[in-house]
Amino acid sequence: MSAVPAWTLAAVTALALGAAAWAVRFGVRQRRELGKARTQLRAALDELERSRAASAEAYASLQRTQAELVSSARLASLGDLIRGVAHEINTPLGALSSNYDVTRRALERLEIILEDEVVDEDELVEVRKIVAAVEGVQETNAMAVERMVKLVRSLRTFGRPDRSEIDHIDLHEALESALRLLSHETSERVRVVREFGDLPAVECYGDQVNQVFMNLLVNAVHAIRGEGTLTIRTSRNADRAVVEVADTGVGISEENLARVFEPGFTTKGKRVGMGLGLLITRQIIERHGGSISVRSTVGRGTTFTVELPLRLPREAPGEGEETVRAGSAATGRG
Amino acid sequence: MREDQPGTVLIVDDERMVVRSLQSFLGLETPYDVLPFVSPQEALESLETRPTQVVLADFMMPEMDGITFLKKARELQPEATRILLTGYADKENAIRAINEVGLYYYLEKPWDNDHLKLVIRNGVERSSLFNELSSRVEALEKANEELHGFRERLVKAFL
Repeated sequence: MSAVPAWTLAAVTALALGAAAWAVRFGVRQRRELGKARTQLRAALDELERSRAASAEAYASLQRTQAELVSSARLASLGDLIRGVAHEINTPLGALSSNYDVTRRALERLEIILEDEVVDEDELVEVRKIVAAVEGVQETNAMAVERMVKLVRSLRTFGRPDRSEIDHIDLHEALESALRLLSHETSERVRVVREFGDLPAVECYGDQVNQVFMNLLVNAVHAIRGEGTLTIRTSRNADRAVVEVADTGVGISEENLARVFEPGFTTKGKRVGMGLGLLITRQIIERHGGSISVRSTVGRGTTFTVELPLRLPREAPGEGEETVRAGSAATGRG
Repeated sequence: MREDQPGTVLIVDDERMVVRSLQSFLGLETPYDVLPFVSPQEALESLETRPTQVVLADFMMPEMDGITFLKKARELQPEATRILLTGYADKENAIRAINEVGLYYYLEKPWDNDHLKLVIRNGVERSSLFNELSSRVEALEKANEELHGFRERLVKAFL
């Protein structure tokens, strides 16, 4: 030890002291940094918590908006329905209101003729005229009443809505009902071809399936500018019902074809509730365990193919149904 | 008021119940001959041969719309009075027709029978007046020609 010179000892001591001081400083710095990092981490966690809360809120608000949009889409098709009904009712109403008036006039004339309790030659001619008029009235009354009965029957198919009950639906009947309500748009310019196959009743939510057909048929009719043909084909493919709605309308371009089921996609201009029809259509079909596909050629027309299982999958409908319920509640029905 | 003059009224609507109702009413309340049609094509064939005072057409018909029909009717019988019967929400088309086919009147469904009777009676009268006017104009032209010939002869006789 004594061999170690004093300067060495001093140097080592200085070094050791320096190292210790450094170590202490380092430890302190490390601890300080660690603390700082912990604070930062805590802040980040707080921030994360805040943004999680914010996104949960945003998600809830998005859900509300979607429900509102779905509801306005339903309102749009409700509007179509009401216009159809108003138009359909107008013809028999015109006939009936005229007939009522004719009957009143006929009675008045008969009373005048019968007043003196004698019927002369001239009056006999008049009576024959009255009889002919009343016969015409009877005939048209029958036609008008029949038309209204048919209309009410179609509406009843659509009137089940919003209770979302499982039905066994004759798809052909459902298609006919939708067609009848669109007849004011089709009768003049669209030829409707029915190629109906053999189909058993399909277990489904009847109101929703009606909405699907209404949406597809309205789209097809709107796609036909001027005159054209609407072909509806049905068939059975094992345990699935297949419905094809084909129009000879304007068609959809390839780039748009991929987007037709996206929310907000529309070619009909910016109107509230537009551009959701096909999204809802697909949602409904998928909820039934079915599928929908589309093929189209610009200028030639578009074909939508819907496949629905004859029996509902057991767990359906899922949470999506809430959206539809929320929508229907907002329409003030249900 | 003067007595209703005779006249022929043609009705065309693809809805049989409408045609039949109009026919019942006009048959009971007016002296006119009513020609009912559910096909515009057949109605045009009638117009080719039978003088008609009033042509009443529905707007929405699958075979041919009311404006096209009335345009063709005008070519066949220009002096006939043309009336359009419009359904729900066809008003814009009716207004378009006023200029395109020289429409006299448009009635909306459901129609009022008294109003319809008045419009048709005025239509018949108007068409008859047109006919009378054109035959008077014809007679006047003929007289004018005769007068002209007479004057020429007179001038020749004196020169």
